[in-house]
Amino acid sequence: MVAGELVYGENRVVVQNEDGTKVEYRLWDPFKSKLAAAILDDVYDIGIIPGDRVLYLGAGSGITVSHVSDIVGPMGMVYAVEFSDRKARDLINMARKRTNVIPIIEDARHPLKYQSLVGVVDVIISDIAQPYQVKILALNASYFLKKDGRFMISVNAKRVDPTAPPDVVFAQELIKLYAEKFKPLDEATLEPFARNHSCIFGGYRIVNIHKRGN
Amino acid sequence: MLVLFETPAGFALFKVLDEGKLSNVEDLWKDFATSESARQVVKLKAFNKFENTTEALSAATLLIDSKPSKGLRKFLRTHCDGETLAVADSKLGNAIKEKLKIDCLHNNAVMELMRGLRNQLTELISGLATQDLAPMSLGLSHSLSRYKLKFSPDKVDTMIIQAIGLLDDLDKELNTYAMRVREWYGWHFPELAKIVQDNIQYAKTVKLMGDRVNAADLDFSEVLAEEIEAELKEAAVISMGTEISDLDLANIRCLCDQVLALSEYRAQLYDYLRSRMNTIAPNLTALVGELVGARLIAHGGSLLNLAKQPGSTVQILGAEKALFRALKTKHATPKYGLIFHASLIGQAAPKLKGKISRSLAAKTALAIRYDALGENTDSSMGLENRAKLEARLRVLEGRELGRSAGSAKGKPKIEVYDKDRKKGAGALITPAKTYNTSADLLLGPATTPEQDGALSRKRKHEEVETESAKETTDASVEEDGKKEKKKKKKSKIEETNDNDATVEAAEPEKKKKKKKIEGSSAEFVNNDETTVPENDEEPSTKEKKKKKRKNAETEEPSVNVEEQETETKSKKKEKKKKEKKGGE
Repeated sequence: MVAGELVYGENRVVVQNEDGTKVEYRLWDPFKSKLAAAILDDVYDIGIIPGDRVLYLGAGSGITVSHVSDIVGPMGMVYAVEFSDRKARDLINMARKRTNVIPIIEDARHPLKYQSLVGVVDVIISDIAQPYQVKILALNASYFLKKDGRFMISVNAKRVDPTAPPDVVFAQELIKLYAEKFKPLDEATLEPFARNHSCIFGGYRIVNIHKRGN
Repeated sequence: MLVLFETPAGFALFKVLDEGKLSNVEDLWKDFATSESARQVVKLKAFNKFENTTEALSAATLLIDSKPSKGLRKFLRTHCDGETLAVADSKLGNAIKEKLKIDCLHNNAVMELMRGLRNQLTELISGLATQDLAPMSLGLSHSLSRYKLKFSPDKVDTMIIQAIGLLDDLDKELNTYAMRVREWYGWHFPELAKIVQDNIQYAKTVKLMGDRVNAADLDFSEVLAEEIEAELKEAAVISMGTEISDLDLANIRCLCDQVLALSEYRAQLYDYLRSRMNTIAPNLTALVGELVGARLIAHGGSLLNLAKQPGSTVQILGAEKALFRALKTKHATPKYGLIFHASLIGQAAPKLKGKISRSLAAKTALAIRYDALGENTDSSMGLENRAKLEARLRVLEGRELGRSAGSAKGKPKIEVYDKDRKKGAGALITPAKTYNTSADLLLGPATTPEQDGALSRKRKHEEVETESAKETTDASVEEDGKKEKKKKKKSKIEETNDNDATVEAAEPEKKKKKKKIEGSSAEFVNNDETTVPENDEEPSTKEKKKKKRKNAETEEPSVNVEEQETETKSKKKEKKKKEKKGGE
């Protein structure tokens, strides 16, 4: 979205459009970004389209956030929530250059604290490696996620339950999601980019399911 | 019932028109699906806009702690008479109840209501479009995050790095200009340059004096010392410089002004640097001083970067050239880098500088981490550690005294044998002793003409690196040798004796410090059995003198006819023998 700015030392490619204008694309590293890994693992529908408002829990230094910001474009909005100070510093620097990213340095467990900053969102992405991350996601969704909204949750089996085998953990997370009015639609394990990881995509309070993005 | 809703633009108070809907939580969302139905349920009663970002920031920060700000309290007091207030935050509700005696409500229904409100926010609050909300949200979030991170402009270490860079630049510039003044004015009054040594004094003098004929009349007491003044006045009379015009003098005076201004600025900058260092890294300053501390930070790039370095790195920061040179050539590494200029090191006796440098570096690393990542901003930790280090210095000195005064039966200190260490004191690097190959004497029997040719060629090419085409038993030894090779400076690949297009592997020969014997596999297609034992004899005699006999096994006449030891190997062994005998 911001031409010429590299966020984390990635490479970029300049491509010529049909009308002669040049477009700059940044390469999305699947080893650094789980969303990229999920896309490469052939997920059916990530659920984000240009113009969306996205709430991103666990934004980290902003690597994936920057790519999501590129996807939603200037009409959309990314609310990036990150609790760690060090990471947040990088996030803020990145947000300074991108006007569609709103950095929120708060604990995602208490959406109350940032509810005045966030409006209604279309998608929630959650990348918090906590045992009760589904609960956090559900709480945030009840505040901010619109009906028929989409979500993506990245599950690190070792963080949720280090003793159980990953498949069991993923299954348990699915059950938890169903209990919280989520409807998981797709799951993508992130091999070979990350081990014991899986990304679950789905909808919230969904009545009709239709494919949103590509 | 009223509902309190916070937006980045301000506080909104909605009146619930149909309270019956609230009992049916499950279907509440249907009512907020469209703006018309939403308007049936709630209506905007009042809106309290934030005046500016500061107010928004303060209100937001208080809300995070579940406290109502003054503006909010006033707003609620005005509009909230007699009604219950639905709030999202129960703690806030309690606070409001306490302070304003307004009953607050918080339950699932309220949360659903909030959700619906959020959905239809822009519709319900006229005059507040999405476009307005977005930048407000952005601004507020940035201010909030900065507040959260306690982004203090005082703690920016970039200032230090820039200031120290500027200090160095200023010094250079000052020196250049001062030299220029001397040269330029020396055309008119050359003796002055030798009389007045200090640059600033020189500039002041020239400024005061102008033409040297004025020297006799003027009083230089503020600028110069008495004897110098006397000398100057004498020399002014008998000077052999030429006359210069007033215009020239005016220009020289301008330059002097510049010099003086610069030196003043430099003093000011130095003060600024000191005050900044004390704010940003008080513990580091307490331990090593402002200047050294600033240089360390500048060298590391930032305070945080510096904090990631271990104490051993801090010790030799600034001596990288010497360090890597020593590591490459297996000499002793330098003992101190930038840290040498710390006062603690200056205090220590030369023999103890190394020890103190190490201890100081260790404590300095701790202090840096404390400054970069800790919460407090006082220098207590630094001062404590400095006291500890000074105590240690006393102890060491005491021990030294005892030793120099003590028994010492006249025997030299027995050093631990370190096969890899070259003799060399401290940071000094002694050049390696090289073997003069022209002093070679081959004691072996007559060799075949090919081998002879190979030999002479090999003599000429003193440094050769081989890649052996076929390695069998020598493989492991060569591996060893190759590791050594990596550290060598020069290498050439030599091809010798191309026979029938077989590639020969020539012996690697390095001048410097080769400790291990290379395995060789020079191949001669047409070697005789006879030469093999001969050649083996040669090397074997020399081998015995070696401490390492790695190649013992490989030097047996190999069944593989194509493998053979070459003379180059023997030459190398001679070299090594010499080096080994040196016993370093």
